[in-house]
Amino acid sequence: MYLDEFEYYAPKTADETFELAGRLGSQAKVLAGGTDLILNMKQSLLKPQCLIDINGVKEFQGLIYEAGKGAVIGAATKISELEHSAVLRDKYFALHQAARELGSTQVRAMATIGGNICNASPAAETSSPLVALGTKVVINSAAGERELPLEDFIIGNRKTALEQGELLVKFLLPEPAPQTASCYTNIGLRNAMEIDAVNMAVNLTLEADNRTVKVLRLVMGSVAPRPLVSVEVPALLVGQALNSNLIEKAAAAAAGEAQPISDIRATAEYRREAVFVLSRRVLQEAFNAAQEV
Amino acid sequence: MEGKKFSQVGRSVTRIDGPAKVKGEAIYTDDMVMARMAHGKIKRSTYAHAFIKNIDYSKALALPGVLAVITGEDAPNKWGIVPQTANEVTLAVDKVRFHGEGVAAVAAIDEETAEEALDLIEVEYEPLPVLLDPFESMKRAGEILIHENEPDNVLHQGEQLFGDPDQAFAGCKYVLEKKFYTSYVNHAFLEPHSSLAHYDPQNGQLQLWSSNQVPHYLHRQLSIVMDMPMNKIRVILPAVGGGFGGKGEASSSDFCAALLSRKTGRPVRVTYDRNEVFVTNKGRHPCHMKMKIGLDQNGYIQAVDFDNTLDGGAYAGWGMVVMFYTTSMIHLPYKVPNARARVRRVYTNKPTCGAMRGLGGVQPRYAMECLLDELAEMMGVSAYELKMKNAVESGYRSVSNLHVPHTEYKKCLQTVVENSGYLEKHGKQPFGKGIGLAGGYYISGTAYTLYLSYKPHTTVLIRVDTEGGVTVHCAAADIGQGCNTVMAQMAAEVLGVNYEDVHVVSGDTELGTFDLGSFASRVTYASGVAIKEAARQINDKLFEVAAGMLSCRAEQLEVRDRRFYSVFEPKKNIEWEKVVDVYTNTVGTLTGIGHFSPPRLKGIDLTRGERVQGANIGHSPTFGFSAQAIEVDVDVETGKVRVTKVTEAGDCGQAVNPMSVEGQVEGSIMFTLGQALYEEMHLDKDGRMMNACLHHYKVPTVMELPEMDTTIVDSYDPTAPFGVKESGEGPVQPTIPAIANAVYDAIGVRFTELPITPEKVLKALKEKQGK
Amino acid sequence: MKQQLIQLEINNQLYEIPVTPRDLLVDVIRKKVGITGTKKGCGEGDCGACTVLMDGAPVLSCLTLAITCQGRKIITIEGLADEQGALHPIQQSFLDHGAVQCGFCTPGMILTTKALLDKNPHPDQTSIKRGIAGNICRCTGYKKIVEAIGAAADRIATREVK
Repeated sequence: MYLDEFEYYAPKTADETFELAGRLGSQAKVLAGGTDLILNMKQSLLKPQCLIDINGVKEFQGLIYEAGKGAVIGAATKISELEHSAVLRDKYFALHQAARELGSTQVRAMATIGGNICNASPAAETSSPLVALGTKVVINSAAGERELPLEDFIIGNRKTALEQGELLVKFLLPEPAPQTASCYTNIGLRNAMEIDAVNMAVNLTLEADNRTVKVLRLVMGSVAPRPLVSVEVPALLVGQALNSNLIEKAAAAAAGEAQPISDIRATAEYRREAVFVLSRRVLQEAFNAAQEV
Repeated sequence: MEGKKFSQVGRSVTRIDGPAKVKGEAIYTDDMVMARMAHGKIKRSTYAHAFIKNIDYSKALALPGVLAVITGEDAPNKWGIVPQTANEVTLAVDKVRFHGEGVAAVAAIDEETAEEALDLIEVEYEPLPVLLDPFESMKRAGEILIHENEPDNVLHQGEQLFGDPDQAFAGCKYVLEKKFYTSYVNHAFLEPHSSLAHYDPQNGQLQLWSSNQVPHYLHRQLSIVMDMPMNKIRVILPAVGGGFGGKGEASSSDFCAALLSRKTGRPVRVTYDRNEVFVTNKGRHPCHMKMKIGLDQNGYIQAVDFDNTLDGGAYAGWGMVVMFYTTSMIHLPYKVPNARARVRRVYTNKPTCGAMRGLGGVQPRYAMECLLDELAEMMGVSAYELKMKNAVESGYRSVSNLHVPHTEYKKCLQTVVENSGYLEKHGKQPFGKGIGLAGGYYISGTAYTLYLSYKPHTTVLIRVDTEGGVTVHCAAADIGQGCNTVMAQMAAEVLGVNYEDVHVVSGDTELGTFDLGSFASRVTYASGVAIKEAARQINDKLFEVAAGMLSCRAEQLEVRDRRFYSVFEPKKNIEWEKVVDVYTNTVGTLTGIGHFSPPRLKGIDLTRGERVQGANIGHSPTFGFSAQAIEVDVDVETGKVRVTKVTEAGDCGQAVNPMSVEGQVEGSIMFTLGQALYEEMHLDKDGRMMNACLHHYKVPTVMELPEMDTTIVDSYDPTAPFGVKESGEGPVQPTIPAIANAVYDAIGVRFTELPITPEKVLKALKEKQGK
Repeated sequence: MKQQLIQLEINNQLYEIPVTPRDLLVDVIRKKVGITGTKKGCGEGDCGACTVLMDGAPVLSCLTLAITCQGRKIITIEGLADEQGALHPIQQSFLDHGAVQCGFCTPGMILTTKALLDKNPHPDQTSIKRGIAGNICRCTGYKKIVEAIGAAADRIATREVK
């Protein structure tokens, strides 16, 4: 349980970081909170020759919200900061909820949102809400900057769209439309310290009538190699005045879309069942919340 | 005669090791530092069953910083806590029998180097078929044996027959038979095993500091493995971070540290990683049980038939004892006039099972309490009524010759039913909410040493002088349960001083006097007897001196609050220290020594000439009892079971330290709630453990803590020292069946396999709907 | 591997310690600084026994590289009692409420509590449970720990009023 040896770099600026990332290429891993990376290295699942510690780079940290424009979250922002952010609670409730549910107090104090995403675990807590909220990621390298919708960034189980020398530096969350609410839910065996068997987030905007769905995104975690954006649920619900029958149908559709596998945490069959129940609950919850916005 | 009025016993006092622990100053084995200390690591097998063709450690030995490498050949002597079945070796010889078994060990100047060296050891295996299921293991024994000298892949099997159960069943009005399965669980104590050995080549003396709960048995095993006389070995326990039975025998870390120390001439420490704790296991035996209970028309139990296949894993360990305990446990806490038990403990290629809190009781208790719950329903009475009707009373002697000198079990049942509102709630709550009732008991010590000797099980030496005050010496093991504090309280009680005045020297085979260790919930009772005897000897001598100083007769004196008083003229009194001062000045240090030998029940009843079967097992000087009513909330859509409230009432005799008893009870309940709902070790088809970490092996977190209402019922066992009984293993017994019965009350499904996971609940609900 | 000097302030004392990049904070504290109250229960961030406070935040020292802690302020369990040796109210409360058994989870549990109460001086029971959910205790069943934390909060509040 000791680490293999590696070179350690602690850049102070973004440019320095990009230069290092470009120069060291695939030999290097980026160290943010370390709760996944160091564990993987201890278990010899990863053996990087170099670590680039980005905790000293101010540009990568913090949460800025500007009314009408949305939020920008630095990749190295701690989960605990998100958990306690009033803006997130008010504007991006699903992400607030997911941040609260992630790991333990200690893990939240260490782990970063960028790390949670770049680790690209299918069970990651923050990916479902971020995708549901329409988040874009900003990717930087010495060569320049590009933007991608988050769902295109996570391309598979533990795989991202990062090219050699590139870093994920920030998340762009659009300003929620009026009459919008988002919710997150998850299920695991215990009520803490879990890797979710299933998690799910929904972002829902109602028409002025306060009943009809205008826009809806439902994203499922841990039931596919990457966050699964439901196609059928919006197809069923957008333009409809929501009621419990419709929600039930949508939940069944979500369960049909899920592509779960069986593993040590749950069987595929159970996961599909859980998707049905959780999507029904989370849709209802989001609907109620959106009506009260 | 002894009264029930105590001043030191019966008080909730803070632990004597508490301040050091809250300050982080308590020293555990891995915290120790010695000059020239080296670090050992164990190379582990990557096959669950295979011949070892060759081990090449030349590259490891060549790595700078590596001091020595050992393999099984270095210590071929077999060890085992039960000497008759000892079949474990320090490191595998010729063959590995579970995935993760040690095959070699390295000592190096630091842990990093030792770990690196492990990767350089090349082991060549010839894989053998892997047997993971006990039934398959028995079936394929003709083709493949796990131990060459164990014919059917069975360690031992036994049958016990009391009365005529077949005839009794024939006359029963209500008969119920079911199969039950309990899961493969680990203690998950928080401190991984750690052993620090120091062999001194000049005087041939070995000292071993170990995180262990049976220093005496460890001492014996070391003597066997190291081929050294016991008097050249000293075992010392620093602070121990929990045991729960898992440290109730020696561990390879002990032997590897000792052997590597002898080989290198340096102190060597071996501390396990968490995954090594899991893969060396010694946790609870999974049991495949069949139990049948018959009641007459009035609801009195007439017969119990019990069949149990214990999945023992690779080695013997505590297996034989656990196996017979499961038979013994069907005889209490209800009156069972006819009984049969057929049991077998089977070898499989899994990490070995062993002793775990409530050893042998938890599995049959689950079956019995669930069956009684169902039988009550068949009869149309409450489970409470049925259990009260059959509950044992003080003075009961079971057909298996277990004698219960004192019990308040009925009071426990009554108290939980009243405090929980069981009768008002049971069967009357909305679908998804339920309450379940169960009872249980456990021994307070055993009748025999494991190696069948007739010496006392505990000796206590009390030393009193002007320099040290009062010092209690006893090699008992405080593994966190708090026995040092309890021993101080009991000694202070008799000596008339405060518990804070008493120093306790325990967990040391050289400075402490003989004790068997912390298992079978024996320490409070056993040390209590010995302390009383030793302290009385002290008092006898001090009373004589005090009598002279007060000009009265010794038998007219009493001692309390650090003063000797004349019973008749309380104004005649003198400080305790002054008397000790006079004694020490004239005679010198004062000592008293007390012993405890358990009352022995014979294997053969000489008066009737009948052989009493299983006579070694389950006999205890007295028994503790517990009853629990547990409430659950089942999410019928996701299948998640949430325990919302536990109401418990326990009979632990006189509580010496009520706060400590509460801690034992609350800890027992959460510990077992984990087995009921969350915990299970999973092996893949090759026998590799898939969740050998605390992330995937799910012990309850504080978020699972339900409301808890526990009561220590008024109890005093007149046959016991200070009226005491056990309190740390009885309360684990009812938790699983109480939860299972509550789930049944909530959703109408009886779960007979553990753990009761959301998946199982949901599947069962669907099947029920389908019907 | 080349060692490099880092400065750590541990329990208000400044240390200059040679480390290699792979050295974990828990090992540096236990072996190089030589204070062993910080425990290693799992080495994988699952049990919380190795928790220390870094600039006030509770972190898992088993998953923290020491080299990343240059210039940080660390409090371990040894740094909680006051200069005269009087117990911190949380320590006293754990003792008084029987919240300690084997003691192996205790340092991490107390430090996590300290971080919790610093942030939220009057936590309700749910906040207490959420706060310490990453600290596994196998002995006590948690009940007395939750009680001790509630009482410690009261004790600190009273002390501060005085």
